Amino acid sequence: MLSINMTGARDHLVIALNGEVDASNSVELDEVIQEALSGSTQKILVDGRNLEYISSAGLGVFMSYLEDFREKEVAFVIFGLNDKVMNVFHILGLDQLIRIKNTQEEAEESLYDA
Amino acid sequence: MVKLPNIQRGKIYIMLAILTWFALLFVDLVRLFGEINQMEGDISREITWILEIIFFIILYLYFNDSINKNENSSFLNLIWRAASTGLIATTTSFLIIYFYYLLAGSRLSDDPLLRNFFYHVNFALTSLFLISAALLWKHLILYQKSKAVVQQWQAYEVILLISMFFVLINQESYDYGFMFGLIFLVIYGVILSVNLKWIPYLTFREKWKSILFLAIIIVCTAYLLVQLVSYNQKNIDFVNLSENLFLLGLFAFVLIYAVFSFLVTLFNLPTSSVFEQKLTEAISFQKLSQSIQPGENEEQVLDILMDSSMSAAYVDAAWLELHAQEEEDLPGKILHQKFISNGERQELMATLKKTEPFASYLNEQKNGKLEYIYGKIPHETFQSVLIIPIRANKKILGDLFLLKEVKDGFNKEMINIISTFVGQTSISIENYRLLNEAIRNERYREELEIAQRVQRSLLPSELHHNECFEIDGFSAAADEVGGDYYETYSFDRDHFALIIGDVSGKGTSAAFNMSQMKGVFHSLVQLNLSPKDFLTKANSALSRCLEKNNFITTTYYTVNTIEKEIHFARAGHCPTLYYSREKGAARFLNIKGMGLGIVRNESFEQYIEEGKLHFQSGDVMVLYTDGIVEAKNEIGQEFGYDNLRNLLDLNYHLPAREIRTKIIESVFAFVGKEILPDDDYSLLAIKFKA
Repeated sequence: MLSINMTGARDHLVIALNGEVDASNSVELDEVIQEALSGSTQKILVDGRNLEYISSAGLGVFMSYLEDFREKEVAFVIFGLNDKVMNVFHILGLDQLIRIKNTQEEAEESLYDA
Repeated sequence: MVKLPNIQRGKIYIMLAILTWFALLFVDLVRLFGEINQMEGDISREITWILEIIFFIILYLYFNDSINKNENSSFLNLIWRAASTGLIATTTSFLIIYFYYLLAGSRLSDDPLLRNFFYHVNFALTSLFLISAALLWKHLILYQKSKAVVQQWQAYEVILLISMFFVLINQESYDYGFMFGLIFLVIYGVILSVNLKWIPYLTFREKWKSILFLAIIIVCTAYLLVQLVSYNQKNIDFVNLSENLFLLGLFAFVLIYAVFSFLVTLFNLPTSSVFEQKLTEAISFQKLSQSIQPGENEEQVLDILMDSSMSAAYVDAAWLELHAQEEEDLPGKILHQKFISNGERQELMATLKKTEPFASYLNEQKNGKLEYIYGKIPHETFQSVLIIPIRANKKILGDLFLLKEVKDGFNKEMINIISTFVGQTSISIENYRLLNEAIRNERYREELEIAQRVQRSLLPSELHHNECFEIDGFSAAADEVGGDYYETYSFDRDHFALIIGDVSGKGTSAAFNMSQMKGVFHSLVQLNLSPKDFLTKANSALSRCLEKNNFITTTYYTVNTIEKEIHFARAGHCPTLYYSREKGAARFLNIKGMGLGIVRNESFEQYIEEGKLHFQSGDVMVLYTDGIVEAKNEIGQEFGYDNLRNLLDLNYHLPAREIRTKIIESVFAFVGKEILPDDDYSLLAIKFKA
């Protein structure tokens, strides 16, 4: 079960993930990020406060856009991951490639400071 | 009991019948000769009667036999058999009369002995005709057997048998007893004669023929009756053979049944076309309901539908329009256009699109529930139109257009039967498609089984080790094929390599990537690289092979049993669980790492760390994939890292195989039986001994 909300605030987009990301719905996540990238924004925030679980297929989606973010100089920050999900990012090593913050304030700060 | 073969039995009956007839003739002639010459020693009449009864019984048995043998002959054949026997008997009787006509005036013509001889000939043929006809009627009466009818007939046979012997008891002719018996037989004959269920099954032509044959039978029977009776009136000194209740009863029965059949067939003539129509419909229905045979296609079923519908409603013109099927990429087309030209059809279609109620159906969205549309149109040739949509799998496949030149040409029954045909066609087509799909799925399943076998063979059947450590592995896939991988390699007696890996995603695509990983492992392991270099090279190789959003997590270990050293590096894989005897506790070996295929350039190396540890006897190392720690129970809780570590703390003292079994059993017990595994589980347990 996954629901995704995308909202705009100031100069950035916020993608809020609710529920679980697995092989069956990772395509939805992919579409949303694709859509966000196709817009004019240079700043994307992922709200992971309600993300309960992410499978390798979901991680694969984030991973596949890392190159695009760098090329288009898009700032991409994830915040609010619970311990379990954070651990998944950490084990795979994605926390070394993606900025991950605890709170929304920290995340926004890192978006606009950079 | 001795049972004679059938053919023999028939011949024996004929022989016996002839012999009996000769005996009868002889006895009667001798008696008559004696009477004429007023000789003593009169032969009693009983002998004649008994011979007559024997003659009847033998004939009855013979015909019963021979008709049963030809059980499958048509009704018309049966009636013809009776009619022809009747004709032979009648013709013979005419020939005798002609013979006497030729002899007119001569002394021979008055000779009672000769007359008596011909009387016997006539009698024999008449009996033959009556008995054979009665048994043919039996066959017709019992065409649709019910218990009641069979019992009726059996009772009739018994009554006939009794009636044969009546003559021995009561020698007074035409007294009350005799008349009573006769009336009883006649009434019984009438009751039996209402069983005429075979008649509707005759076609129109057959009915005409049977009317003719029945007429012949009626005339012959009537003539033979009159003739036999007149013989006796003219020749009072003969023993009266015809004054037998059996024979007269048969006369009555044969005549009554023939008359009934004649009348019923005659009155059935006008409605026979309706019955034939219904029969054709039943056959059409049966044709439609037979699922499409291999080698045939849907168009052939539609063709049968067209023909059946057209004949059911006496349609003047028709066509079938198939709609374009987007999914199957089929264009719309006109199929089976009958008795109408392309131009006419287009012109009619234009008219239909302007005329209600057709316009709203043809122009707008197809109404999913509509069964048929029927109405009249302003057209010079065709006055009434019926459109029936043909459906398969809840979609409208096409429309059947039926046209008639008369106004209000379709009645309720016609529309009903055509709707039934269309429904049956839909079922046939659906079945055909389902069958094809099933065959296709079966093939996929077989291919998947092959993939499964191939993939099982990718996991090692034997794990390399020496006396310094035990090793035991387990792997289960959630789908038919999985993406977990482990392998061992032995450089020499004391140097080993171990690897465990998990491919992102699951199922077939994961299995393909796993086989790539196996190839990479076997290529690189021979270079005897350090774990960090190994993973860097593996990443470089896999970055060129994996799809954009696929990655592989793995941990690579080298084991040196002389130095008792393990070197390892982790590429995004779950941290290794290690029990140290010295510390008396298990822990996860947390070192930095990065999954293979995530960073697809040289910078990958900077994300990888290499770890090193010394092992001691009694240490246990557990390698696993994320399926183990992420296994969920029915309320959605994960098995988790802590559970796994606690398990090892409790069971570290066991041999490797038992540690492995304990952990897998705990995971399965945690998940519960009701829940199907949704990820692949793999586990390797290594126990160091010396």
